[in-house]
Amino acid sequence: MSSEDLLLGLQEIFRDVLDQGDLVLTLHSNAENVPDWDSLAHVNLITAIEKRYKVKFALGELQDLKNVGDMIELLQSKLAAK
Amino acid sequence: MNVYRWADIHVGLTHSFEAMFTEKMVSDFAEISGDINPLHVNGEYAASVGYPAPVLFGLMTSSLYSRLVGVYLPGKFGLLQGIDLDFNAPCFVREVLTVKGEVVYMTEAYQRFEVKASIRKADGKLVSKATIRIGFHGG
Repeated sequence: MSSEDLLLGLQEIFRDVLDQGDLVLTLHSNAENVPDWDSLAHVNLITAIEKRYKVKFALGELQDLKNVGDMIELLQSKLAAK
Repeated sequence: MNVYRWADIHVGLTHSFEAMFTEKMVSDFAEISGDINPLHVNGEYAASVGYPAPVLFGLMTSSLYSRLVGVYLPGKFGLLQGIDLDFNAPCFVREVLTVKGEVVYMTEAYQRFEVKASIRKADGKLVSKATIRIGFHGG
């Protein structure tokens, strides 16, 4: 799956979970520049991503992510390994 | 009260219990919530709009989901983090309600799980259903 497709998929998830219908996600989006992306919302986001793409994350894989671009890279590696 | 920790939780784990509401509980809930809508507290009004008795507050019956989490699934160490709730049918004082919850998803990275839960009447009629997101407190 391409980065563009994953970005669009993640944007859909973020819009739903954060209740921000007009949120525009970029590869540089992170908890600092996306409103309401707090710790509890983060757990909701990860759960929603796991369910949508049928993958499972370990805590160690998530701790080093700095932005949405990093998440997309991790997702691509997970999906490629399936 | 159960004392489940993360290691005790697995998909398919199920708990259920029965509960019933009284007139006093209804008046207490009206006072706590400030919801004095006559559908819930006035029998004559409820009858005039087609109900056999005042309809129990949906959020009062749904408080049983709090008991499900705090006492059964997982019990003592639970932390209710979110709930999606739908109401399906009215219910009334002194009806026996059965609350049931089953673990359906586990987010390993953050040790959080989801429970599909329902409240049903004695005849099986669905009163409400919920998806509950649950974490842990206390290490």
